[in-house]
Amino acid sequence: MSIVKEKELKLFEKAASEFAKKQLAPNREENDNYPYGPFFESVVQKAFEVDFFHITLPEALGGMDQGMHALSVVLTNICSEDCSLGGIIFTNAAAQQLLLLADCAGKLEQIATAETVNDFLIGWPVFNNPSEITPRVHAKKVNEGYTLHGTLEYMVLGGIAGHGLVPAAIDDQDDQKAYSFFLVNLSQNGIVKSDPVLSLGLHACPAVDMTFDATPAELIGNAGKGAVYFNQLADRFQVAAAAMSVGIVQGAFKEAFDYSRKRFQGGQAIINWSEVKMMLADMAVKLKNAEMILTTATHAVDDQTPGWPAASRAAALHIQEMACDLTSDGIQVLGGVGYMKDFGQEKRFRDAKHIQALLGIAPLKKIKYIETLMV
Amino acid sequence: MITKREIHSWLENEPVFDDIMCSLRAAPRLPKGMVKEARKVIAIARKFNQEIVVPYALDLDQTLQRDPEYLAWDLVQKAGEWGFYTMWLPKIAGGKGYSLPTLSYFLEEIGSKCLAIANLIGVHYLGVSTLFATWDTRLINEVLWDVSDGEKAGDPRLISLAITEPGAGTDVEEVDLLDQGTVACHAKKVDGGYVVNGTKVFISNGHLSKWHMLVAYCDLKHPAETTIVFAVKTGMDGFTFGRKEHKMGQKGCPASELIFKDCFIPREYAVASDHTANVKRSYRETVAQYIDYVVSTSRAGVAAMGVGVARGAFETALEFAVNTTVDGKLLVNHEWVQCLLAEMYKNVSMGRLTYVETNYANGLEGMFKILQYKPVYYLVKLMHMSVAEKIIKPILGHPIVNRLFLKLQLDLQTDAEIQRTSGWASLAKFACTDLGVKNCQMGVEIMGQAGLRHDQRIEKMLRDAKLLQIYEGTNQLNRVNLFKSLIGRAYPNANVFAHE
Repeated sequence: MSIVKEKELKLFEKAASEFAKKQLAPNREENDNYPYGPFFESVVQKAFEVDFFHITLPEALGGMDQGMHALSVVLTNICSEDCSLGGIIFTNAAAQQLLLLADCAGKLEQIATAETVNDFLIGWPVFNNPSEITPRVHAKKVNEGYTLHGTLEYMVLGGIAGHGLVPAAIDDQDDQKAYSFFLVNLSQNGIVKSDPVLSLGLHACPAVDMTFDATPAELIGNAGKGAVYFNQLADRFQVAAAAMSVGIVQGAFKEAFDYSRKRFQGGQAIINWSEVKMMLADMAVKLKNAEMILTTATHAVDDQTPGWPAASRAAALHIQEMACDLTSDGIQVLGGVGYMKDFGQEKRFRDAKHIQALLGIAPLKKIKYIETLMV
Repeated sequence: MITKREIHSWLENEPVFDDIMCSLRAAPRLPKGMVKEARKVIAIARKFNQEIVVPYALDLDQTLQRDPEYLAWDLVQKAGEWGFYTMWLPKIAGGKGYSLPTLSYFLEEIGSKCLAIANLIGVHYLGVSTLFATWDTRLINEVLWDVSDGEKAGDPRLISLAITEPGAGTDVEEVDLLDQGTVACHAKKVDGGYVVNGTKVFISNGHLSKWHMLVAYCDLKHPAETTIVFAVKTGMDGFTFGRKEHKMGQKGCPASELIFKDCFIPREYAVASDHTANVKRSYRETVAQYIDYVVSTSRAGVAAMGVGVARGAFETALEFAVNTTVDGKLLVNHEWVQCLLAEMYKNVSMGRLTYVETNYANGLEGMFKILQYKPVYYLVKLMHMSVAEKIIKPILGHPIVNRLFLKLQLDLQTDAEIQRTSGWASLAKFACTDLGVKNCQMGVEIMGQAGLRHDQRIEKMLRDAKLLQIYEGTNQLNRVNLFKSLIGRAYPNANVFAHE
């Protein structure tokens, strides 16, 4: 890595770390109350202002034109304090990438020039691999355009974003498995949005169920090629999903380690009980390995080294699964208080499991991984 | 071929026959009526699930996400209407006299639909067990008849156990740790009773209970030697509720802070060292036996809830898999899903075997023993309530009866029996609750995006299940206790809870 690049990454790390500590950590519990408390709009606005939503956007579209390494550095640091904002950054960046993969830079440019963060954001059902689920929304060709019909579950950012990407099967065109992506202006008539869906984790990265009734939509890229774009996107962005898990794990380890030195049981700090020491050692070793895997995988993706898609997917599968177990231990080290909302561990436990479903059903992602090696 | 003495000797070698064959030893001694009871209890639980728990559980959880201070009095009332707070109290104490092992089957059933509701009912019996284990028949009489009268009057009177303190969680579960810990709930002896000062935290059902079995210490530097148990009633001067914890799950069952400030408790509501003056073990050993006595039953209950939530996750994932098409075919027809479902089913079945084995151990040698002795079982079962109230109730208050019960329960329980019940309870507790969490994780994974949604139930199960690994002793403590009870005892140079 060049010295300039390394310096750039350090700056990203510093900015994200400071942002997380100042803007996210103090109000973690309050922000997590959404939808029963206020949405942390001002924090999202500040993240927008410091360009956390522009990291992988091309320079020509007003972005920072960084690779997955930079995005991962930011996501790791943000998610070590609160994964919800990481979820928003991930969802939006992935949607931008989908538009680019579908050769729709022009449409993205229109959105990227938006002045408000809501108009800038693009929502999409990022916890689904559209190939896996049926029934989907379907699209009808009407004159030169399309209209969407049907219900889409768990449209992430659907309640706050100006635009959305919707996977849909085109009537009489797409076969049973094929689908296409459509860009939808979410403020137009003909869309019914549910209340925010109450979910396991990422409470402040809200999703809604969305019903389309002859809603006008623009086809993205080629008809029937949704799966191609999705798979290309997943190859790149699995590593970013892994980065979110690494952030969660960093936070979980730090809180457990700090607590274990302050909490006394049996007349000594609990870190001096060797079973606790063993748990912390397991956590530390897993964290270190996860960080190393992530670094290797992000470099592989950015440098397009041979086999980079496998590196990205394998990193995500391994790190996400590990994070689910590690965050459980993170609660366990704290005992009763780890289960309470006063500490960050319970949220990390929920968030880690939640993001394991990013870009599709976790076990199916494993199956797909081996299938790609069989080709 | 082999003499009787040789048989005895060989079976005393590790693994000791009595340790590994609890069910085989128990089977011939079990009253047949227990099977009929178990069938009835499980059927009642399933009916309650369908009529009350399933329609209510998600709403209750959502209400508490919206308003963490909400207290589920309506649910407390409803469970009382179904008679659940006296169902497992002996008839001689005004209850319905169902045998205690059936409580764990009940908790598995309710836990398969909602752990918060299972715990709300189950933890009442933690309070009951704590009261029972004092073998202070006069106090047992008074409190349990009050619970029974309350249920009849439509005024549920639950019992909580207040033992955990801000500075002492694991410490209060083990006498070996107690003296090294930092307990702070102090009981000072005064004329006519005690004055208690201190705070208890994470007390399940605290805000919802009328009675609280409070554990305090006369000498904070030597708590194991000076442990004292009180029955405290809500509303006593000097006793108030503090904060209600904001938990990740099991929200319907509150975790409460109980604050005691110069709280005077009359002598008749205290069980102190003089109560067990005539038993053979030292007071410290008796306190250890007392703790083991309680947790050997309560941990079986928590284990059953672990199996319950493991089953709930399995059933929810299975239902999803048979109704959802993924990758062009029903999810249930993917071989990897079939294997995951088989793994989940295995977890449920293996877990159930362990908590049932713990029940057998408790029936042979623990708290359930007296009531499972066939003549006593049928006598109590067939006894008319009026006989219990008019004849048995006054007798139980007599000091001689009290001493007899103490002797029977404490002195006749051997060290090996304490180890067996305690070891099995710990094994069941950590095994079942670990697999409860595991099944929930697997279920969420199988269901993908749907598994993240509150309206699909399984995410709540995962949040709820995690608490099972923490209360009734963390699973780490229970591993050490299993080692202490059934493994390390064979090696004189093996120490537990020693500073390293």
